[in-house]
This record gives sequence, C-alpha cells and structure tokens, in this order.
Amino acid sequence: MNWEGQKLVEELMQYLLLASALISFSTGFGFSSVKLMFLIYASGALLTLLITVPDWPFYNRRPLVWLDAKVAEASNSRLLKAKVAAQQKASKTMKK
Amino acid sequence: MHSYALRVNTAVTLAIMVLAVLCSFVSLSDHFHASSPHVHLEVLSIDAFQRQKAGNDEVWLTLNISADFSSVFSWNTKQLFIFVAAEYVTPKNVVNQVSLWDAILVSKNHAKFSIKTRNKYSFVDQGNNLRGSDFNLTMYWHVMPLTGAMYTEKQVFSGFRLPTE
Repeated sequence: MNWEGQKLVEELMQYLLLASALISFSTGFGFSSVKLMFLIYASGALLTLLITVPDWPFYNRRPLVWLDAKVAEASNSRLLKAKVAAQQKASKTMKK
Repeated sequence: MHSYALRVNTAVTLAIMVLAVLCSFVSLSDHFHASSPHVHLEVLSIDAFQRQKAGNDEVWLTLNISADFSSVFSWNTKQLFIFVAAEYVTPKNVVNQVSLWDAILVSKNHAKFSIKTRNKYSFVDQGNNLRGSDFNLTMYWHVMPLTGAMYTEKQVFSGFRLPTE
C-alpha cells in the first residue's frame, strides 16, 4: 500500500465507523431496540475491517515513482548544501 | 497504516472507542425518557402476630400489590427489580426497613400486574417494637439499563398501623 493508499484507508476507516455509528443509533432508537443498534454497529465495524485491512488494488492506483539513483544523489547533495548554509546563517544571527 | 497488523489494530481500537461513545449516548438518551408508573399498595389483613422464641415480634400479613411499570421501560432497560419494604421508626433506630416481597420484571409486557400475596419474606423486628406501631409500605424499583448506571426510585404509602396484640 502506497502513501496515497494509506491516507485513503485512514479516512475510509474513520468515515465508515462514524457512519455506522450514526446509522445504528438512529435505527436502534427508531425501533426502540438497543440490540438492533449493536447488531448494525457490529456489522458496520466488520465491513470496515473488510474494506480497510486487506491490501485492495484500489489502494495502489498511484504507485510511488522512485527517482533515478544519480538524480537522487544530486538532489540530496544540493539539499545538504542548502541545509548547511541555513544552519550557518542561523548561528550568525544568533551571535548578533 | 503500512501493514495488516497496524490496520487491524487501528480499526479495532477506533471501533471500540466509537462503541463506547455510542453506549454513552444511549445512556444519555435515558435522561429524556419520562416515566409515570402507577403503584398501589394496601394491607388486606393482618393474619398473625406472634412473638418468636428469641423474643422478636413477627407479623404475617396479606398485601394487595397492583402496579403498572410499563412506562418505566425505555429502549435501554434490561429489567426492573422491584421490592416492597415495610418501614417504621423505633425509639432506638430511626430507619428500620424490612423487605416483604420482591419481583423481577423482564419485559414491558409483564410490567402490569395486580396480586394478592402473603409477605414473601418474614416481617420480623429485632425486638418487640411492632405492636401498635405505625408503618409505611414503600415500593422501590431498581432500573437496570443495558448500558449505563442503575438507578432507584420509590413511592411511599403511609398510614398503616399494626394491632396492639
């Protein structure tokens, strides 16, 4: 599961559980049965597990594209230089 | 969220937390449930009045208990435990309670009844303070919910008097 998929799975998990809680409460209250509420919520929670736990194909629709090794190195060294420069600048301002 | 175990853990934890919130909302909804039970207690007859060997007063009486508890049942009520207590004051103790009869009501359909019964549990005083004394009959009902805290309510019927002998 890639980054996009992980973000999606987390959101799905929260919304599905919240939705099953709301549906189960209103249905249970409507039918005056706490047992019915528990049953609906339990099935909603099971459905959520089924949707979020296995690594379904739609979580991998946008695969992570890795940079070429050389490009990565170059960008890393550029980043490193920028970071060092920023630190030096910060220490100078501290002395002032 | 990168592994199966982590996703199972997160989903189950969140599901249980949401369930706890759901249960507290169910319990909260009981506060908006208005109940108006009808209870009537009367003493039909005092059948026996005796002194036990230990010197304690014992009374046998016949009660007429009629009640309609169906309005107490909300969607979150598991059962009611009801009991009738005799309450009286003695020079030594201000509060004396003797449970005379009890019952468990498990459903709304069986919550309306009217029975004539002898006291199920013996009405014995620790001493001989019962002769000629006034007493109250109190109907208590403990409401046991499916989720949330149990609570108790009561209705007092006063003005009963035991004979002097």
